[in-house]
Amino acid sequence: MDQPNSHVQSTAGELKKMNMATTIAICGGGWLIPGLAHILIGRWIRGAIFAACVLLMFAFGLAMHGKLYDLEFDEPLHVFAFIANIGTGLPYWIAGKLNLGIGTMTWASYDYGTTYLWVCGLLNYLIVLDAFDIAQGRKP
Amino acid sequence: MILSHFTALLVFALFVSTVFALITKNEPREQFRYGVFVFLSFLAVAFVVGWIMYPLPL
Repeated sequence: MDQPNSHVQSTAGELKKMNMATTIAICGGGWLIPGLAHILIGRWIRGAIFAACVLLMFAFGLAMHGKLYDLEFDEPLHVFAFIANIGTGLPYWIAGKLNLGIGTMTWASYDYGTTYLWVCGLLNYLIVLDAFDIAQGRKP
Repeated sequence: MILSHFTALLVFALFVSTVFALITKNEPREQFRYGVFVFLSFLAVAFVVGWIMYPLPL
């Protein structure tokens, strides 16, 4: 009987499992740059689609005047929004440096934009976990 | 950029259903079918919830 975590089927067809340090490094890269983890594993198409989905959602969110949350201890519930936002990785900090994501509450699409920004970060967390499972041989 | 509520919903559903389909299924045919199912589910739930909320004095 196969051990469930004993192997991963690479794109070339051979079976292999990456060590934990490499897996964590790949997942870190995937968190900072959406889709990069799958590309490093060799899933180019999947990684490109993930990158397009997350980055386009992020761009749409900013274009709709959504708000990017910062870590504010005087507003404890904003921590959850911050955690969702930083899931996007580097684009979150780049947008902050460019003074984007300030959020215009009077703008008609403000709520949608903010939701887009939350969800693209949360999706990137799922994408990184998917890459982790693939690297650890838990899914093909 | 100002999208209508429905267009924003369509774009949102498209991105989320694409990611969900690729994460949860492995075969391309399964991914496509599941992606379409999730996408249509988003639309159906939005219509149903929208009509439920319609008579409410909000």
